[in-house]
Amino acid sequence: MPTWPEKRSVLGRRVRRADGPLKVTGAAKYTSDVQPAGCLYGMILRSKWPAARVTEIDLSEAARSPGIKAAILVRDGERRVRYYGEELAAVAGTTKQACLDALRKIAVRAQRLPFVVKETDGIKPDAPRVWEEAPNLSKPQVTERGQVEQAFAEADVVVEGTYSTQIEIHHCLESHGNAAVWNGDELTVWSSTQGVFSVREGLAGNLGVDQSKVRVISEFMGGGFGSKFGPGVEGAIVARLAKEANAPVKLMLSRFEESLAVGNRPSSIQKVRLGATRAGKLVAYELDSYGTAGVGSGAATEGGGGGAEFPAPYIYAIPNTRVQHRGVALNAGAARAFRAPGHPQASFGIESILDELAVKLGLDPVELRLLNDPSEIRQREYRLGRDRFGWREKYRSPGSSPGPVKVGVGCAGATWGGGGGGTRAQAQINPDGSVEIRCGTQDLGTGTRTVMAMVAAEVFGLPPEAIRARLGDTAYPPSGGSGGSTTAASVSPAVYDACEKALTELKQRTGLEDVRGENWKPACRKLGLEPLVVSGQWQKGLSSSGVGGVQFAEVEVDIETGLVRVRKITCVQDCGLIVSRLTCESQVNGGIIMGIGYALYEDRVMDAGTGVVLNPNLETYKLPGIADIPEIDVVLVDMPERGVIGIGEPVTIPTASAIANAVANALGVRISSLPITPDKVLAALGQVKEVTA
Amino acid sequence: MNRFRYANATSTESARELVGANGVYLAGGNDLLGLLKESIAEPGILVNLRSVPGLDQIEPGDAKWGLGAGVTVAQIEDHPGLRQAFPGLHEAAAEIASRQIRNVATLGGNLAQHSRCWYYRHRDIYCLKKGGDTCHARDGENKFHSIFSGNPCISPMVSSLAVILTALDATVVVQREGETVTLTMTDLYQRAWDNPTLHHSLDRSDIILRVEIPTRWSRSTYLQVAEKAAFDWATVSCAAAVRVADGRIQEARVVLGSVAPVPYQVAAANRLLQGQTWSDALGGSVAERLLRDATPFAHNGHKVPIARALMQRALRHVS
Ligand SMILES: Cc1cc2nc3c(=O)[nH]c(=O)nc-3n(C[C@H](O)[C@H](O)[C@H](O)COP(=O)(O)OP(=O)(O)OC[C@H]3O[C@@H](n4cnc5c(N)ncnc54)[C@H](O)[C@@H]3O)c2cc1C
Ligand code: SF4
Repeated sequence: MPTWPEKRSVLGRRVRRADGPLKVTGAAKYTSDVQPAGCLYGMILRSKWPAARVTEIDLSEAARSPGIKAAILVRDGERRVRYYGEELAAVAGTTKQACLDALRKIAVRAQRLPFVVKETDGIKPDAPRVWEEAPNLSKPQVTERGQVEQAFAEADVVVEGTYSTQIEIHHCLESHGNAAVWNGDELTVWSSTQGVFSVREGLAGNLGVDQSKVRVISEFMGGGFGSKFGPGVEGAIVARLAKEANAPVKLMLSRFEESLAVGNRPSSIQKVRLGATRAGKLVAYELDSYGTAGVGSGAATEGGGGGAEFPAPYIYAIPNTRVQHRGVALNAGAARAFRAPGHPQASFGIESILDELAVKLGLDPVELRLLNDPSEIRQREYRLGRDRFGWREKYRSPGSSPGPVKVGVGCAGATWGGGGGGTRAQAQINPDGSVEIRCGTQDLGTGTRTVMAMVAAEVFGLPPEAIRARLGDTAYPPSGGSGGSTTAASVSPAVYDACEKALTELKQRTGLEDVRGENWKPACRKLGLEPLVVSGQWQKGLSSSGVGGVQFAEVEVDIETGLVRVRKITCVQDCGLIVSRLTCESQVNGGIIMGIGYALYEDRVMDAGTGVVLNPNLETYKLPGIADIPEIDVVLVDMPERGVIGIGEPVTIPTASAIANAVANALGVRISSLPITPDKVLAALGQVKEVTA
Repeated sequence: MNRFRYANATSTESARELVGANGVYLAGGNDLLGLLKESIAEPGILVNLRSVPGLDQIEPGDAKWGLGAGVTVAQIEDHPGLRQAFPGLHEAAAEIASRQIRNVATLGGNLAQHSRCWYYRHRDIYCLKKGGDTCHARDGENKFHSIFSGNPCISPMVSSLAVILTALDATVVVQREGETVTLTMTDLYQRAWDNPTLHHSLDRSDIILRVEIPTRWSRSTYLQVAEKAAFDWATVSCAAAVRVADGRIQEARVVLGSVAPVPYQVAAANRLLQGQTWSDALGGSVAERLLRDATPFAHNGHKVPIARALMQRALRHVS
C-alpha cells in the first residue's frame, strides 16, 4: 500500500490559494460570467399557487413577444403543481427584459387546490394532501435496541424535552444555473455544480443523448453545500431552450428562485427522553421525531423516515434506544443534501438534552460527555479544548452570571465520514519543466486546486506555484461529485499516485537518479519533444474516513433585549493528514459561520395563509454578517498516519448545539428551538405576554 | 419589472410636471428599485430628483440646521458639525443598512420610503396596502409588525432617520401644488396612521425640499435592537432628545420606531419628564405611559419589553 512521505516539505503548510488572485481581481470566470457569442437569457415561469391543477398553459403570445427565440413547457399536458415556485414553462430571449415581458404573456389556466405549509398543520389527519395518493405523514421508521422501557424504569434520572430545528436554505453565493451551447448534436454546458460528471449523466439521460456528446465545465463555482449535484430542472430547461432557439442560452436563477425550488435542510421536531444513572452514565434513550423535506416527504419516500431522518442518539453509546422518524409532506420546495445532512439536527437534540441532564445531576457538561462518548479522538479533543478554551474558569452554574448581560458557555461534539475513492488524475510534465495536473473534479471554493498543486509540488520537490492544476471539466479524468467531504480524500491520493508514477517514469526516461527540486528543469529538458503524460488513481492507504470534532462556545445574552452575541468559538477537529492548512482552516471557519447562522439567524418563513415563502431574499432570510462573527480559535489535530480525510462537513455540525447550550447556561432557561432570536429569548424569560387572538 | 420612461428633472417645477399622473420620483433608488423589480410599483415614468440643483446642501445655523432632501445618509453620518450638534442623528444614520446603501440613500428617500412588510413586498401577494381587502399579517407572520396602529394595516414605519428627527422636533419643507408648506414630523406620517393604503402623508407630486432641525436640544441619542449586529432592520428603535437646564430636564422627547405606522410618541409620556431629574423609577413611569396602548399580535409581543429597555437606556444616556 502506498503511503505519504514521512518527511513533508509542502503538505501541511500554509500556502496561498492557487486561484486567489484570479478571484479577487475578477479574472476567474464563473458560470454566471460565461457569455458565449450570441448568448440568450433564459427565464422560468413558476407556479403562483402552492397547490393547483394546471389545465392549460398557452405560450403562443409569449413566443411572439419581441426578442423571444424560444418558449417551452416544462411538462406537457395537464399537471398538478405542489408548491409555490414549481417550474411550469420557460423562455429564452435577447434581453432579460424581453424574457420578463414574455413571462407575463404566458396564460396559465389552473384550478387552485387546498394546501398546507406548516409542519404542525401538515400532520393533522384532515390536512389537505400534498400527494393525493397517500397521507402527508409517512410511515414511521422505527429502530429499537435493548430493553427501553425497563431501562427507563430503572434509571436514576430521566429528562425529557422537545427540540426543534428550522428549514435552512443553502443560499449559495452563486445561484444555480447553466449556460448551454449546442454544436450539432454535441452539447457543452457551463454549470455551477458540485459534480461535472453527475451533471453530464443527468443531462444525457434527460435529453436522450450519449454521455460522450455532453461536456460539462465548471472552472469556478460559488458554493453548492449539497444543493448542486445534478443538472436540476433548470439545467434540463436551458439545454432544451438552446436547442429550440438554436443559440447559446444562459439561465441563472435569481435569489428569489433560490429560496423556493433548489433545496433546503429538512426541519425537525424532536421529542426526546433520556435516562441515566446518578453518576451520569446514559442507559436509555427515546426519540420521536418528525420533520419536513417539503414535497420530498411523505408518500414520495414511503418506507424511509420521510426525508427528515437523522442519526440518533448520534455519537453516544446508549445500550437501550428506541428511535422513530417520520416525515411530513408539505406544499413547499423539496429538501436536498445540505452540508452534513441530518447531523446538525441530530446534534441539536441530543446535545441539548445532555446538558439538561448535566444540570439535573449537577455535573459539568464536559465531564458528562467524557463519560458517555465512546470516541477516543473526541475524548482527546475535549481535554485539549477544555484547557485551551478555559472551560473550567468559564463554566458557572446556569443563569448565575451577574448583571443584565449574562454570559454562558456550552460544548458539543460531532462525527463525519469524509473518506475518498473513485478518482483518476493525470500528470503532464512538459520539456520546459512546467507541470499540469488534470482531474475531473471541481473546486467548490474549498481549495481543491490548491490541494492538487500542493500534492504535486510535494512529489516533485517544486514550489506549489509551479504547478498548474486543471479541474472542472468532463474532458479530464473522471472523479466523483464533491459531496460528503470526499473531495480532498479522493483527489489527493489520485494526484499523488499520478505524480509518483510520473516521477518514476521521468527517472527512467532521463536515466537520472535525482530529478526533484533544482534538478527538475535540466531533467525535463532531456524529454526532448515529447511531454510525459502519466495517469494515476485513488489508492487505498492514502486516505481514510471517520473524524471527530468538538466545539466550545461562549456567548453573552442581553436579558432586556433578548439579543445573543457569540463571543468565541473554539474548535478542535481531526482530519487526518492535513494537506493545505490554510484552506483547511478556511473550511473550519466557514463551517462555524454557517453553524452560527443556523443557531441564531437563518429560518425559511412559510406563510400559512398564502403558501409562499415570505423571506425569499437575503434581507429577511438572515445570514450572519461580518459583525456577527466572533473570535474563532481553530485547533487541527494532525494525524498524518491516517491519510487524508475531508473536513468540510463535520465542522458545521456542533456549532449551533454548543451555542444553544451556552445560551441555556447563560440564562438558566433553555431556548429549545432554532434559531435563537430575541423574541424566543424574551418569551423564555417570561417577558412576553401571551396574546390570545 | 415593467417598461418605463426616465427623465432628469432640472427644477422642482419640472419634476412635478414630469411626474404627472403615473410617475414617481427617484432619488437614491434603494427603496424604489426593489419595488420596481418585484412589480409592486409600475410607474409610467421615473423622474430623477438628484439632477435638481440645490437639494443636497447641509446648512448649519444658530437656531436651526437645514438638510436638503438630496443629502445622503453617508453625508449625514460623516458630517462632524452635525455629529456634534445632533449625536442621535449621527447614530441613526450610521446604523442604516450598509455603507454601500448609505452612500446613495438620500434623506428625502429615507423619509418617504415604503412599507417593508414582507407581505407587501411579495410580488404575488395582494394585501390591503396594495388595494386588496385583507391584511395577511394580522393573523399571519407578524413578528416584525406594529404594536400600535390606527388602522387595519399593521405595517410599521421603519425609517431610522424619521425616528430621531421626530425626537428632535424637526420640520419638513415640502413643495406642494406650487406652494411651499412646512410639516411637522407628525404631519408627515399622520395619514399613514389613519389610512391603510398610505406610507406617509405626501401626495404623489409632493417633493420634500429639506428638513430643518432646531438646535435647542442639549443631548440626543438613537438606539436600536436588530437581530443582526449590522445591516439589518431594527426590531425596535428608539430616539430621545432632551433640553437640560439647571440640572433638570426642561423638555424631552422619546420616540419609538418600527412599532407603529408612524414614529411613535406620546405627549403625556414626554411631559412626565419635564422639570424632573433622571431616575430609573421615572423611566419606569414614562415607559408605562408610552407603552400603555400597545396591542401586540401573536408573534411580536417581544417588541414591548425591547421598547421598554431601549427607552430606558436612551433616556438614561441623555439625561
Ligand atoms: C437591506 C436594506 C436595509 C435597510 N435598512 C434600513 C434601516 O435600518 N433604516 C432605515 O431607515 N432605512 C433602511 N433601509 C432603507 C434605505 O435607507 C432607504 O431605502 C433609502 O434611504 C431610501 O432612499 P433613496 O434615496 O434610495 O430613495 P428612493 O428609493 O429613490 O426613493 C424612495 C421613495 O421616496 C420617494 N422620494 C425620494 N426622494 C423624495 C423627495 N425628495 N420628495 C418626495 N419623495 C421622495 C420616492 O419617490 C420613493 O417613493 C434599508 C434598505 C435596504 C435595501
Ligand atoms: S401589515 Fe399592511 S402591508 Fe402588511 S399585509 Fe397587512 S395590510 Fe399589507
